[in-house]
Amino acid sequence: MIQCEFDRRRFLQWMGASAFATLATQLSFDELASAASSSPLPTNTPILVLVTLYGGNDGLNTVVPFADPTYQSVRSNIALTSSQVLPFSDSLAFNASMPSISALYAQNKVAIVQGVSYPNPSLSHFSSMAIWQSASPTGDLTTGWIGRWLDRQPHSPFNAIGIGSTVPPSMIGEKSVASMVDVGGIQLPWGPVAALLPRMGRPSASDVPLEAAAATSITDLYATGKALGSLVPKSPTGSTMAEQLAVVSTLINANVPTRVWEVNLSSFDTHAGEQLDQNALLAEVDGAIGAFMTSIGSGSRSNDVTLMVYSEFGRRVMSNASDGTDHGTSAPVLLVGDSVQGGLYGDQPSLSNLDVNGNLLVTTDFRSVYGGLLHDLLATPVGDVIPSWNSVLSVH
Amino acid sequence: LERGLAATQATVLEHGLRDPGAESQAALVLPILGDFPPPNTAASIPFWNKMVAEQDALTSWWLDRMYLSDYPLTERMTWFWHGHWATALSKVLYAVPMQRQNNTLRTHALGNFEDMAKAMVVDGALNYWLDNEENYLTSPNENLARELMELMTLGVNKFTQDDVTSAARALTGYTTNIFTGAVGFNPTQHYSKPVSILGATREFNAESLVSLIVSKNENAKFITDRLWFRFVSGTTKPPNTLVSSFSSREIEPLVRALVASSAWTDSANSLAKAPVEWFIGACRALRVRPSHLNVSNTQWALSQMGQIPFNPPNVGGWPFGQAWLSGVSFQYRFELAQSAVAVGDLSPLSVPKSRMVQACADWLGVAEWSRRTGSVLSSVTDSPSELALAALLSPEYAVSA
Repeated sequence: MIQCEFDRRRFLQWMGASAFATLATQLSFDELASAASSSPLPTNTPILVLVTLYGGNDGLNTVVPFADPTYQSVRSNIALTSSQVLPFSDSLAFNASMPSISALYAQNKVAIVQGVSYPNPSLSHFSSMAIWQSASPTGDLTTGWIGRWLDRQPHSPFNAIGIGSTVPPSMIGEKSVASMVDVGGIQLPWGPVAALLPRMGRPSASDVPLEAAAATSITDLYATGKALGSLVPKSPTGSTMAEQLAVVSTLINANVPTRVWEVNLSSFDTHAGEQLDQNALLAEVDGAIGAFMTSIGSGSRSNDVTLMVYSEFGRRVMSNASDGTDHGTSAPVLLVGDSVQGGLYGDQPSLSNLDVNGNLLVTTDFRSVYGGLLHDLLATPVGDVIPSWNSVLSVH
Repeated sequence: LERGLAATQATVLEHGLRDPGAESQAALVLPILGDFPPPNTAASIPFWNKMVAEQDALTSWWLDRMYLSDYPLTERMTWFWHGHWATALSKVLYAVPMQRQNNTLRTHALGNFEDMAKAMVVDGALNYWLDNEENYLTSPNENLARELMELMTLGVNKFTQDDVTSAARALTGYTTNIFTGAVGFNPTQHYSKPVSILGATREFNAESLVSLIVSKNENAKFITDRLWFRFVSGTTKPPNTLVSSFSSREIEPLVRALVASSAWTDSANSLAKAPVEWFIGACRALRVRPSHLNVSNTQWALSQMGQIPFNPPNVGGWPFGQAWLSGVSFQYRFELAQSAVAVGDLSPLSVPKSRMVQACADWLGVAEWSRRTGSVLSSVTDSPSELALAALLSPEYAVSA
């Protein structure tokens, strides 16, 4: 009989209509404590900022093998000319839309890890991004890699924070999930009900996991709002990379006890008209990172902060006739920070020795890059977060 | 109660050729805007304003229709298919082809999947979204071919890169009028030689490509999985028997089988309500037509929560599960609930105080309040509006358990 009741309700819920139900009793009120003001991040604590580029950023037009004749010949309609690049060696250059990163590279603050992917790369956006965010090429882990790191920390809504409203898969663990902060600013509930809502944020024994997560989200909003609300500038326009990273630098400089941050930008899926679109996107990322580094440099944490810029895959070596590129495999990962040992890591994949689909071979596994970050920044054995993986590529 | 359940099933699954509720809404006529004026001219700003106004009008129209429909199943399924064939105004820009696509999805929402897929593969908005207007005879653009197979019909790893290359050739020659959404066919630009796709070698066009793909067993499994994922559980898999309900590729029998399956009664299966589902559910409970609220505030809040109709974040469709349950999301949920409760019909709570909390659960379709929520709600029975607001913001109402 109960079953039928649930059945009926479920239907009606599904349709956004209503039905029957039961029960209710008492619960005590727990006051929330504000973690940020009471426990600032200790000095010299490393901080990781993930910069996720959704859509598959074309690595070959980001870090450009401009001197390779094959580069010009196989993608003549989108190859960058000598006036469109900022060379840093005889063979490699940054896209000219990246003056800030180019300048940081000259100061030894940018590590370029070349040819990064994983064995048998997937050409699917969603599979490949899931692999990167779970650190599981075989797909047997459903939690995110930062989520698993979070699971090992004492619970605090401040351990990891994403910018935006939907939580990135990399930051969802078994028990813990990152908090989110919106670039639109934090506005806590108001009015007579506002005082009651924190009580709604307490998990209840009868909660299914998603209900517990919904409850925790309320607690996290109040906790982050109380601690960070006055620090996050109201931004009317939304979600540019510059706005996201401005929020992060403000909060880092305010000593918020957060070890991992995430910002992201979409639209790198440049199947057509690539140059115009990608140059604009890279300019947005570059300007935002430049401003971020300036802001962090003005505070006391410039040696603590490392950004990692990555995408789910690079793109096909040969361009298509729509002046774009189809899905590819390996691409460079950029690590930026004052404490980063700048330079080139790993090997640049050949433009002529390609896989059966005409894509670049993989020279570095992204899990080694994560391994370095876990070891150097998060003080966690890599195998604890990425089971049976122990390779570490350190750039610090 | 058994009879009650059967009656409820019948009511919920009911749909018809006419939908008086939805038809009470004035038809939305969007003028065709044509090409952009030259950049940096006096005409640019008015043109852009008109484009944004059409986008907003279309979004508002659909939210209202979801609210007004007498047969929510049709709208619910149209919404599902919108996330499935995820096409976004963020790139398409023109509302007219998106409206046309929406009508196509509604026409086939409970019909035959092969018919739907054949209509969608020549849908102008989808073709533009996935660059098929730039898929040339001499140099295929693989975007539509790949996502058609991976995200819309077969699933990942059910085809090879060679299949993608060949399917892209099958999709050459189609031309999109992005102002209207009409798709034409230019045989001289179509690859007319045989290609090999999924083991079949012959000449293909868009229609025969879809017929081939949809005939595969993987298609039945994939569509069954997708429906299960969005309607039953993001963590469990459907029973193997369910897929047989889709053997004819008729969608309605599959939906009926899903709803009749024991999974519906299993409390282990729960789903986080996506923002639009949560919002429309609240509007229906409160009897507030979405467009009677401040439309720009509503659209802003939904977009900040990551889900605004006609703007999925990418071709993979909407996020799911815990991704929706962030503190930021709660912040906007509060704003939406606050504005809807302020003008809402609270008469279902006009009962003696001792029964109000219970009545509130009945009203919102919540199975049972936790001790936590019951305690909070019991403290605000002096004010039906505070009770309604608190209940709409409860963890229980955020989840379909």
